Amino acid sequence: MGWVKSPIHKRAHQNKRYNTATMLQFKLVLLGDSSVGKSSIVHRFVKDSFDEFRESTIGAAFLSQTIKLEKHPDVTIKFEIWDTAGQERYKSLAPMYYRNANAALIVYDVTQPGSLVKAQSWVEELKNKVGDQDLVICLAGNKVDICDEDATAREVQREDAQLYAQEQGLLFYETSAKTGAGVSAIFQEIGERVYQKKGMEVPSSTQARKPLNVELQRPSTNDSTSCCS
Amino acid sequence: MTKLSDVHDYGSSKTKSRNGGLSGYLASKSPSVPNLTQTFTTRSMKETSPERAGYQQFGSPLVEEPTNLSVIDLYGDEDDEDADDDEDADDDEAEGSQSTSGVIADLPVSSTESPSLEAPNAFGAAKDLSQYDRYGFKKQTAHVSQEEYHMWWDQYSRYCIRRKRKWQDLLEKSGLAPSNDVPDRFPPRSEKLKRYVRKGIPAEWRGQAWWYFARGQEKLNKNAGVYDKLLEGLNNKKDKNNCKDLEVIERDLHRTFPENIHFQKDPKEGQEPLMIQSLRRVLLAFSVYNPKIGYCQSMNFLAGLLLLFLDEEKSFWMLVIITSRYLPGVHNVNLEGVNVDQGVLMLCVKEYLPDFWQRIIPKEQSRSNEFLYKLPPITLCTASWFMSCFVGVVPIETTLRIWDCLFYEESHVLFKISLSIIKICEQELAGSRLAHRGLRARTHGRDDDDIEVFQVIQTVPKKLLDPQDIFDRIIFKRRVPLNNLNQEEIDRCRKYVTSQRLKFKNCAEIMGDRTSAKASAKRDLEIGPDFVNNALSSEVYGFRRSLTGAHWNNSIKEKVRQIRRK
Ligand SMILES: Nc1nc2c(ncn2[C@@H]2O[C@H](COP(=O)(O)OP(=O)(O)O)[C@@H](O)[C@H]2O)c(=O)[nH]1
Ligand SMILES: [Mg+2]
Repeated sequence: MGWVKSPIHKRAHQNKRYNTATMLQFKLVLLGDSSVGKSSIVHRFVKDSFDEFRESTIGAAFLSQTIKLEKHPDVTIKFEIWDTAGQERYKSLAPMYYRNANAALIVYDVTQPGSLVKAQSWVEELKNKVGDQDLVICLAGNKVDICDEDATAREVQREDAQLYAQEQGLLFYETSAKTGAGVSAIFQEIGERVYQKKGMEVPSSTQARKPLNVELQRPSTNDSTSCCS
Repeated sequence: MTKLSDVHDYGSSKTKSRNGGLSGYLASKSPSVPNLTQTFTTRSMKETSPERAGYQQFGSPLVEEPTNLSVIDLYGDEDDEDADDDEDADDDEAEGSQSTSGVIADLPVSSTESPSLEAPNAFGAAKDLSQYDRYGFKKQTAHVSQEEYHMWWDQYSRYCIRRKRKWQDLLEKSGLAPSNDVPDRFPPRSEKLKRYVRKGIPAEWRGQAWWYFARGQEKLNKNAGVYDKLLEGLNNKKDKNNCKDLEVIERDLHRTFPENIHFQKDPKEGQEPLMIQSLRRVLLAFSVYNPKIGYCQSMNFLAGLLLLFLDEEKSFWMLVIITSRYLPGVHNVNLEGVNVDQGVLMLCVKEYLPDFWQRIIPKEQSRSNEFLYKLPPITLCTASWFMSCFVGVVPIETTLRIWDCLFYEESHVLFKISLSIIKICEQELAGSRLAHRGLRARTHGRDDDDIEVFQVIQTVPKKLLDPQDIFDRIIFKRRVPLNNLNQEEIDRCRKYVTSQRLKFKNCAEIMGDRTSAKASAKRDLEIGPDFVNNALSSEVYGFRRSLTGAHWNNSIKEKVRQIRRK
């Protein structure tokens, strides 16, 4: 996660501290059984579109999207998103995905009970391998639009999943990549949580993940006062 | 080869419906899926049996028939055309792209001008077939517009015609002129043949040529009847194990080539496309045939592409050959083969594309071999290049050119192509760097850099519509260092990486056990203290440098050039 503070106004010299926008970069991985709609959720988030027929993901796909936090309009977050293939055996590549991740979005399909079991095993895996103090984990039950059409299609009750999420300390949402329901909310919430987690600690700690080759808190060079040309 | 009776069968197979359950839709292997050859070679059939028109246009993978038939028809007609030797002044290096030479510019082969199909069949009403290429893929993709496609195809289709003529001459000289348009034998291996293959096998011969060069018949002869037995077994046996694969396979069938017309449901019939049925059988049969692999996502793309060019049984055996001979271990349950190949690729990048290497690896990590175990994140993107042999990674005509080489030259081709693509990415990155210089330096951190690399690595290949961008510009240039790579080197490299990874794994396990408190949860990411590294990195992989020293001279030259620029 890198901190980039860049001046938004050229008249920054009035009060340099308050007149800066914060830009944060978070790494997020998508995990979950194959065909639950991981790629569809990302595409809804990044492109705001939905394809009924989409090629299955091989290995991993990379996407990025930038949002402003609703609760902190001066905070911009750039998500570095890794969408993964869902098949069991890809788990052996997983450590590469979640290395240095700030958040994990674990998806299941509300019409497929088996997919919740897979989601739970992902939660375990992450807790064992990464430790959840460093990681914001969010559970998402996707394809709720199907249940809206036909209530009998639902196989995983909202309450059950929510309870599980609570016990495990996960964020929880139900979504539909098809209609878009819940999708942007989920990324807002993840952004907010990671911001709270990371945003608080970084200025005081020196444990930023990577060295910053950014001019932090320097006066804007666009200032007419500091301009030397 | 597909027999005419099969064609009948295929055309009338609508009667075969999916009647639920495993036994129903697995009942029999498809009458050989017609391949390109059918369409290309059935001119006489077209005349004699108009009732099969439906098949010709829709049963065959070749959708854009007017265009493609016209390519071939014209080819047959233009015997007075001078053989343009420009491409085959290629006993030396073919520098630059000749694909656009206008020697036969008067040929009306442009698909833009081709009449769109008036389809008598159900598809016609719903689909504008001019949107699909000769294999049934959508011309337009997220990264290539239809206009771009047509502009390129206008040139490339001419190139294909010229190349086919070369091939025909070659076969004639070798006494192998095919009696029915499609050769089933090819000349013995030679530098010349290799060059021909690299310049592209004629599309309508591809299935046969792949089968021949990969020695498929040999495999099939040794295993006569095996495929049928596997299918039989699938109908009877319902043990849990293969049902597990069944589920994953089912989910991927319709996600294989959703944009390809042969994999789409006929909207009126509502019946499952024959292609999908074949794909299901091939994948299920494979999962039983090789339980070490079972089904691995990405094999659907391999099998899917094979089915467009070969009948079902041959596709099955080609899948067996690809997953064992060319990509050993890559699709295995633990995917270790993927990691090994990515390690090899990283070694190659370090050797042949040092600038790019510096970009993706922090200096302090570059010294030891740790990156072979803890692979750099970029390999998350490049792993799929190998798993699907570039299907879906680069546009289809480029994929096919790569496959031509793969079956003739074996797996080192995949590494060469990967390096070529990375090289192209490198240029793109350098360009954007220059454009944003100043601004970037100040406001962008290392993370932004990474993101840019990932993005470029992922989108650049999707835009490689013209195979010549890889072949003429890189592969055919002997002085490009990465062309020093050969199969022997890759085999050696694979062995080396395999053993290095094993050692790292053992060390990591020992270290991990000692500190396996949950608090040090990230332990698998932080392998061992220095002494481990030092012990391991004493064995450094050495690339065999070419005797001419061309590689060294080149890099020295480049350095001198850089110094001068400064
Ligand atoms: N009805 C419905 N279908 C969805 C939704 N999300 C995904 N799908 C479908 O589920 C299938 C698998 O989606 P995909 O995104 O490829 O799943 P992934 O394997 O987890 O990436 C596709 O056919 C999608 O069209 C959703 O929210 N509602
Ligand atoms: Mg996916």
